[in-house]
Amino acid sequence: MLELYHWEPNSFFLKPLIALAEKGVEFRSRYFDPTNLEQFDPDFPCNAESRLQLEREGPVLVHDAAIIGSSFFMLEYIAEAFPGPTLLPADAYQRYRMHAWGQQIALSLASPVTVLGCARYLAPVMRPRAATLRARLAAIEPLERRAAWGALLEAEPGSAVSAARGRLRLPIDRIEAALADAAWLAGPEYSIADIDAFAMLVTLPALAPDVVNAAATPRILDFLVRMRARPAVRAALAHSRTGRPEEAFVPGPEASRWG
Amino acid sequence: MVTLYHWEPNANSGKPMLALAEKGVRYVSRYLDLLKFDQHQPEYLRINPDGTIPAMVHGERVLTESTPMMEYIDDAFEGPALRPDDPLERWRMRWWMRFFDTYFAPSLSMIGWSIFIGPTARQRDPAELRAAIERIPLESRRIAWRKALFNEFSEDELAESRRRVIFATGVLEAHLSQHRYICGDTYSLGDINGFNLGYALPLSQPERCNDEKTPNIMEWLRTIYERPATRETWAKGRTPMAARVAMLERSGSAPKRGGGNA
Repeated sequence: MLELYHWEPNSFFLKPLIALAEKGVEFRSRYFDPTNLEQFDPDFPCNAESRLQLEREGPVLVHDAAIIGSSFFMLEYIAEAFPGPTLLPADAYQRYRMHAWGQQIALSLASPVTVLGCARYLAPVMRPRAATLRARLAAIEPLERRAAWGALLEAEPGSAVSAARGRLRLPIDRIEAALADAAWLAGPEYSIADIDAFAMLVTLPALAPDVVNAAATPRILDFLVRMRARPAVRAALAHSRTGRPEEAFVPGPEASRWG
Repeated sequence: MVTLYHWEPNANSGKPMLALAEKGVRYVSRYLDLLKFDQHQPEYLRINPDGTIPAMVHGERVLTESTPMMEYIDDAFEGPALRPDDPLERWRMRWWMRFFDTYFAPSLSMIGWSIFIGPTARQRDPAELRAAIERIPLESRRIAWRKALFNEFSEDELAESRRRVIFATGVLEAHLSQHRYICGDTYSLGDINGFNLGYALPLSQPERCNDEKTPNIMEWLRTIYERPATRETWAKGRTPMAARVAMLERSGSAPKRGGGNA
């Protein structure tokens, strides 16, 4: 049995929805609302690794008895465990590039993107509920996930937002440069690196138009058009219930604590 | 031909060193002294413009990210498999490597720098150090080196790092109490990654990591240290830092054998 616990098809939640559609794998959709903290309910699937959620929040895949979190590694699991298109390049060096992109997107891109998305869309709806939420958050483990939600309730996100905007430029420049060399991020073949990147890039023309726009990043915009044209991406986006998936953000990984 | 640019068998440099040794791949070793900033010299920046180590050159291919580099080493070369076959166990291996790389290691290294490496480095001329920092290509690395060399860690940051090291040690001990290796019975890249992070834990965190409190971590470290590839790799160390590994030697009477002297 295969079940995917997910929210609106955006950021981390969008990734496995695309990969499962690319594979043509049947699964049961378990839609939940992370802004109601349903992922901390006692009956939500959980094990030692998924509880720690290195990305803070995101989808959970339940395959028979296995509980699988961490969105890029979930993509690798889907690519490796199911029949259908491989979604992995045939060449070892391109697979290295795919792994390196998965790491770079998780470590450099996901944090600023989720900071910007949460500040614009999530914080304004969470803050009026601050009193109730604080009481519920007090019981949440681990500390890092509690702190990520708690930070949304603070009044002044201004400095975090401008820092995030600054941190966006390097990964965006690198993705733009890579797309000048080849059609897809790992090389000539489409792979899970593209699914991973698309889920983080898709909202940036609206969230950070000063960084991602037709003049500065024409290849990223073309990449977004090519991705949106894929039937699997359309199928994934069709899982939206609100009709505004691009506004659905959850807290993401922290910025490097080293600077 | 494979050329590996690396520092000590420790942290990120040690990951490809140990993976290559396990695979039995011969490589040209180019030792760079991290504390002398060899990695920011022009000749190395031609290999890796980011100025981070390690870097591996395999034919025309250049690889600069140590954890993906290990997957490539297992992928591209003959020799014993260093990743499990089962996709679920591979997922577990990758999850643990990310946990080591982004949660455990940065906290441990912040403490290590503030106590051990920073004070040694600061014996050098501050103007020279500042000039060395200015030559670092990546802004994020400049910030990190500035913090490390001038001890700009706040007490809050250090306290948080200490809390995380204690927490992560507990998570690892709990996992190893149920599994011989990171992926069950299969020795994998996850163990190679974890050993590079943790081989000196019993020395740097003696109150937290010892035979009484973390017997499973101790047994795991000693088992990995007994592997010929680990011995061979740590013998390439040039500094007292890598020599710390010797404390994992089992004491004279300790080794358990099938029969005889119990």
